[in-house]
Amino acid sequence: MPTRLRRSSRIAELKTLVKRAWRRRIGFRIGVIIVVFAITMAILGPFIAPYPEEGWGIASPETQLRGPQPPSWEHPFGTDLVGRDMLSRVLVGAGYALMQITIVVVVSLVIGLIVGVLAAYSRGLIERILNYFTELFMAFPAIIIAIALNTFGIRGLFVVIISLIITWWSWYARIAYVYARSIREMEYVTLAELAGLPSYKIIYRHILPNTLTPVIVQAITDTGSVLLEAAAINFLGLGLPPDYPDWGVLVQNGFNYIYSYPWISLIPGFFILLVALGFSLLGDNLREELDPKMRHRWKLWF
Amino acid sequence: MPVSLNYLVKRIFWSLLIIIGVIILSYIIIISAPGDPARIWAGNPRGEKAIYAIQKAREELGLDQPLPIQILKYTLQILSGNMGISIEYRVPVVDIIWRGLTATLELLVVSYIIGVSIGILLGVESALRRGSRFDGLMQSLAIILANAPSFWLGIGVIVLLAETIGFTGYGRIDPYIMYQTGFHPITGFYLLDALIQGNFAVFIDVFLRILPPAIVVATYPLGLGLRVSRALIAENLNEDYVRVAVAWGIKRKIVIWKYAFRGAIPSLTQVMGLAFAYSLIDAMIVEVVFGREGLGSIAFSIIGKSDYTLITGLMVTVTIFYILMNTLADILQAIIDPRVKL
Amino acid sequence: MVLAIETENLWIGYMDEEDNILWVVRGVDINVKENEVYCLVGESGCGKSTLGYAIVGILPPYATTKGTLRIMGKEVIVGDTRNYVETRGKLITLIPQNPGKALSPYLVISDQFYYVLNSLYGLDRKDSYKKARELLQIVGLDPEKVLDSYPHELSGGMQQRTAIALALATGAKIVVADEPTSSLDANLRLQLLKLLSRLRDEMGLTILMITHDILSATRICDRIAVMYAGKIVEEAHINEVIEKPMHPYTKMLIDAVPVLGVKKRLVSYLGEPPRPGEYIMGCQFNKRCPKAMKICKVEEPRPVYIGSRRVACWLYSERVENHE
Repeated sequence: MPTRLRRSSRIAELKTLVKRAWRRRIGFRIGVIIVVFAITMAILGPFIAPYPEEGWGIASPETQLRGPQPPSWEHPFGTDLVGRDMLSRVLVGAGYALMQITIVVVVSLVIGLIVGVLAAYSRGLIERILNYFTELFMAFPAIIIAIALNTFGIRGLFVVIISLIITWWSWYARIAYVYARSIREMEYVTLAELAGLPSYKIIYRHILPNTLTPVIVQAITDTGSVLLEAAAINFLGLGLPPDYPDWGVLVQNGFNYIYSYPWISLIPGFFILLVALGFSLLGDNLREELDPKMRHRWKLWF
Repeated sequence: MPVSLNYLVKRIFWSLLIIIGVIILSYIIIISAPGDPARIWAGNPRGEKAIYAIQKAREELGLDQPLPIQILKYTLQILSGNMGISIEYRVPVVDIIWRGLTATLELLVVSYIIGVSIGILLGVESALRRGSRFDGLMQSLAIILANAPSFWLGIGVIVLLAETIGFTGYGRIDPYIMYQTGFHPITGFYLLDALIQGNFAVFIDVFLRILPPAIVVATYPLGLGLRVSRALIAENLNEDYVRVAVAWGIKRKIVIWKYAFRGAIPSLTQVMGLAFAYSLIDAMIVEVVFGREGLGSIAFSIIGKSDYTLITGLMVTVTIFYILMNTLADILQAIIDPRVKL
Repeated sequence: MVLAIETENLWIGYMDEEDNILWVVRGVDINVKENEVYCLVGESGCGKSTLGYAIVGILPPYATTKGTLRIMGKEVIVGDTRNYVETRGKLITLIPQNPGKALSPYLVISDQFYYVLNSLYGLDRKDSYKKARELLQIVGLDPEKVLDSYPHELSGGMQQRTAIALALATGAKIVVADEPTSSLDANLRLQLLKLLSRLRDEMGLTILMITHDILSATRICDRIAVMYAGKIVEEAHINEVIEKPMHPYTKMLIDAVPVLGVKKRLVSYLGEPPRPGEYIMGCQFNKRCPKAMKICKVEEPRPVYIGSRRVACWLYSERVENHE
């Protein structure tokens, strides 16, 4: 059934979707709780950290003296190689994690939506060319680009963000293209065209709003994957410098000492898993709510 | 065969176009990076003769020619299987990459066999019992596995194995056993080579060493296979032909595997084929964690070394691998699905 | 004599996402004798297909039932428990509505025969192909052309015949034909009806035909039951119904059939059937009925038996009315 909805009702649709998912799905609720928790951590982290300076990566003679300690009441997550409080470092790191993924997802989403919708709307050569570039960039893994940049000594936050955007925009372009294309083929769009509605209006009124919901739902799911890739880049030492409180970097810090001080690596890694899981739970449950076929209860009936 | 020649030719031609694009793009990315490759090739000369030496290196590398010609030359060179000489190691890039690729692929294939088979079995069972406690458990398992950072899991596995059974044997092979049994690689896939030579000592050694990293890499295909096969089977169980098969009294096992699962195979092949290409990166990361040789370790070893021939070669290899797998998955899917007539 | 299909106050509903039950079939009593062709006629959404699914045993897992269904005297549905173990394919078989979707697109026809025959009789490939050849010839197809083909390589008419041959391969004598003609062109439709009635005679089949097309029903049926909003409103021999439909809804269905070459005034009635699971007070038909009375809006009529006929309409229920 072709869904022809006004633009204002699109936001309402997303709202009802979220409401229904919240009411009916435990997974979604867990996801919401994790993500809200992560956002709270990102905002309040530096203020509630017991040792804020250590959280930001400053080591003092006092910490040097402390050295790596296993988790205790004093330091629930233990301390790192130079004695910095891991809890503080993890708390401060939440902000870095969310900042990286937000920038990457938002920028990629915008580029991807523009390219995908344009490709779907313009038939013929332009469609082909845009698709060609989309597929071209899909073939480049972010980590390889990060390594290439590092080969020439380029490092830092810039590497993480640019290499992720270079690969992720194409993924959204592809998804947007697929949805926009199917809407473009619908009768009412053809009718609007025949009625002489200018193309920018057709795109703005019909194609974009109908593409938005599924692409955003997909983007929420992917946020977890973006976090994983960003963490991998930082873990491999291709991104943020060693003393930054980024979770990937923290795992790297403890990597050479995993037999002696495993908590230094394992605890920040667990937070990467947790936050990635939260976003996946959000996105997956929304997507299943979008698909009515998966909503019914089921048992093997034959 | 249900797939027309026309489709095959078109699909392969498109992939070829993309491969060429990838080569050009890689070249442009690398060439526009800071640092002068000619200077590095010449060995970072200083003093009076530096300008002359760099000029000579520039000519040797063909960097004095206009960019379009450089690109054309480089593309043709890659397509003919030559990736130049590594600046860091001073040996042909192709040799280095081939050695790494076989090691990484070996890891990838082993993890894929583990991951996909377990994932699909659990996914089918999950689909049949949708909404049950088992299904809930499997769904949680799949989503946790899909979101666990592989490098972190790798560390976990290393710590766990060391703490429990004291296993710390990483790397690809024990050089001592290799030397003692006179094992010599032929294809570069050690498991295969050991089988060919009937060298079971090496086979078991290589297998035991590959297993821990393979389990880590397998988590992604396992989680994905579980989720995708569950969704596809659930969808196919709703199809008319499955219900009719049930009404005709066909045995449950046959309905599930020959009807519902058979219908899921084409899409499953495509998704898992694509994921295979993605997992190469995962394998490269896990390799670094486990200290195995392979593409990942090679890439890692040249960080900051400005080895632009090797890094371009790596980039081209990884992207072409992705494109080839993607193409193969598409073609396979078309062949398996008798309805697709393109 | 044992009845082929017998229902007693059978209710079938579907649970929606919020676990509310939409009752689609509401207290149906039918009895189909052996070797009879019995038609269930009604508009789409009236519950006739759901009833058919319940009989062949393919209700989805989110369906609920009340009442009883017996097949050859065997209790298949009792309350909310359903047990089709020895009935699917053994006593009862299905001729599907849309043969294009009903045959697995991934299997060649010979495999589909093999799976049916192997499941039910343990035949090996060789024997099952032999049996398949016989059956395909019976339905008028060339086995050599069909056996090695995928369903999409056959025409619509061939798919339908293949589906019939597969349905018959089960060896079950009770056949539920779910809208078997709806996906066919007019000329194939008649052929198919002839084939079905021939098969009935040759193989001693009992056929329950589900259709919205009363014209097709008249060609083949012995008895007809008209369904509206989940209930049987009229049941009678086919000739009686055509000569003198009793229920206004039946009359409407017959009046709406165009006759070729006759400029008959086609009567169309206002309104639409209720959506499945949605019910109004009184007789479900009262909003569309030209003869609606006061009571029709208040109370639902119970079935009245007049000779061998049955009708649920206040027009024929004076006695009931007086009784009150």
